[in-house]
Amino acid sequence: MNLKDQFTRGLVQENPLFRLLLGMCPALAVTTSVNNGLGMGVAVTGVLLASNIVVSAMRKVIPSSVRIPAFIVIIATFVTITDMLMHAFTPALYTALGIFIPLIVVNCIILGRAESFASRNTMLPAIVDALGMGIGFTVALVMVSAVREVLGAGSFFGLPLLPENIPALIMILPPGGFIALGCILGLMNKFQRKTA
Amino acid sequence: MRDILKLGLFLLLVAGVAGASLSYVNSLASPLIAAQILQNKLDSFKEVYPQSDKVVDETTTHLIPPHDPVIKEVNVAYLEEVPVGVIYAVETKGYSGPIALLAGFDIATARITTIKVLSQRETPGLGAKATESKFYDRYKDKGIDLALEVTKTPPLKENQVQAITASTITTKAVTKGVNAAREHFIAHFAAVKQP
Repeated sequence: MNLKDQFTRGLVQENPLFRLLLGMCPALAVTTSVNNGLGMGVAVTGVLLASNIVVSAMRKVIPSSVRIPAFIVIIATFVTITDMLMHAFTPALYTALGIFIPLIVVNCIILGRAESFASRNTMLPAIVDALGMGIGFTVALVMVSAVREVLGAGSFFGLPLLPENIPALIMILPPGGFIALGCILGLMNKFQRKTA
Repeated sequence: MRDILKLGLFLLLVAGVAGASLSYVNSLASPLIAAQILQNKLDSFKEVYPQSDKVVDETTTHLIPPHDPVIKEVNVAYLEEVPVGVIYAVETKGYSGPIALLAGFDIATARITTIKVLSQRETPGLGAKATESKFYDRYKDKGIDLALEVTKTPPLKENQVQAITASTITTKAVTKGVNAAREHFIAHFAAVKQP
């Protein structure tokens, strides 16, 4: 498989959120505004990239019987670093994402890619894979949060779009996360089945 | 046995390297984070009480136990070394979690300057509207002769505050905090006259 295919695989065919249904917890919780969704996506991409690089570089020295604890320590380190950097440089986003930054540690996408891809491939494909998967996840989060913010708060990226009384508040409340994600998944299945 | 030792040592090494790199990043980031928090606090003080050149945390001098547990901090605003205002940090229980807010009082006029909500976990779109300046304006320039009370209709009397639609609990929580600060202000600062 060449590098270009690997990159687009994370974007479309194996999109973490829309196709593999990984990382659902942050996807439902933080997608109340496009800003939050984008911030979460970028944070996950950063952690994924760093952990894929390190895991791929260390794949020959990590004994296979303790690989999972080793991966978790590596991932947790990068998440904590991301957490501190976001607190220092993007305080508003840090407050908005709150507990979901530390929870990137248990985001299945990152452990999944470390285990199934980075630990079996050289560094360049691991980087491409991390970028593809990370950007795919970010795009998916932005799509879900765009639907929720436009319908629920009547704005896009904080810019008001609709008059104050029109938005359906439920879309930015927890049920709205399930409704938006469910509808997007349903539509995607419908169109993909047609082309197949 | 040898295997277990080898694996244990390997994990120890990984954890050691991780710990070392974390402490390095922390040593770089923690001063920035501390500065960030302080700057944020000073900016909020400026919003609540703009006409001052210095704000001093005098919690230990003015907050003598037993006191209302709602009040967390008493900050005094100075202008040219004269105390002109008091900024209270209070924390009350809202609809879905604690609400931390600042309430500013002017000593000369004995009125509330304004309030600012620092952190809250209220329902987005409902109680979370308590962080909008439109809501702060409902407390702006209120007198302190009577305790504030919450109404569901536009206020008729000076001491009435209109609740956020469908978020009366949030409004009551904020008002409770402001009232606690008001009582402390009356007891400790209202008597202080300008020289």
